[in-house]
Amino acid sequence: MKRGFALLETIVVITFVAVSLLLLYGTFRGMVTRSKDNILYDNASDIYKAFYLKEYLELDKLNINGDINFYDCKDSNNTYCSFILDKFEVNKIYITKYDLKDYDKSLYSSFFNNYVGSLSNKGDYKYRLIVEFNRENTYSYASLGMRDEHE
Amino acid sequence: MNMNKKGVTILELLISISLIGVVILMLLKVMFSLDSINNDQSYASNDEIDRTSIIKEIEQDFLENKLRGIDIKKEKDNTLITFKYDNKEEILSIYIDRLEYKSVSYKLESSNATYDLDINYTYDDLNPYYLITLNIPVLIKGENTTLNDDITLTYLNLKNAQDSY
Repeated sequence: MKRGFALLETIVVITFVAVSLLLLYGTFRGMVTRSKDNILYDNASDIYKAFYLKEYLELDKLNINGDINFYDCKDSNNTYCSFILDKFEVNKIYITKYDLKDYDKSLYSSFFNNYVGSLSNKGDYKYRLIVEFNRENTYSYASLGMRDEHE
Repeated sequence: MNMNKKGVTILELLISISLIGVVILMLLKVMFSLDSINNDQSYASNDEIDRTSIIKEIEQDFLENKLRGIDIKKEKDNTLITFKYDNKEEILSIYIDRLEYKSVSYKLESSNATYDLDINYTYDDLNPYYLITLNIPVLIKGENTTLNDDITLTYLNLKNAQDSY
């Protein structure tokens, strides 16, 4: 008669426990990433910075072509454009279609794609201003809906 | 009687203990990595609602009432910032554990977190505009570990002869 655990049984149990722990780790990791994203997405002070950028650089009065456009200070008549972007720790300014769904994700960073994926398209806007900030080598984002000032 | 089938042999026991040890080590490694990822961010997320509320409250006042001047006074236990508007003044009081604005107190949730009474204030002349940035650092165990939990206020407007900064 066989008594106690055999080596094979122990290995099977440990494999089962290890697989369960890996699954648990995957779940926790997802939760932590989402909680981290909440801090990096649409922070209140970043939204106000985006608002001031929109007003100061008159971003809602630009002619917008295509799904995603970049704003470059070289195209701006504003003397302090680069200064203000540095001051606000802005990395890039995107002006996109409001209900952006199908675009070539390979052209943009995964951080940008993840942020766009988290946005709701329920507002009554035509365009969206997305500001990418780079603080402490971490990208954070804030966005505002924009109506077409030309209409 | 076959002695080999009576129970756990010393070899099986040793292998089992080693395997369990390896699994526990892996688990500890995973837990430490999760803890380090979550550490600074958790402080920032604990106070996210209060931080958002006070930034919104003050920034809306800036926009609706037209900010005309700022006066900053550091005292022993607090720092007082007076925001001067067209028809009124509002005071933001910074204490180590809380902010007070318009009789509402915003207390830090995390016990290790404190407000730094030495705030960072800058005024930039962007003729014909001006830009004000005010940063109230949140320290974790005395250090400003991340900027994500700081209270940052910004105001950009056209210059006015009556303004005082």
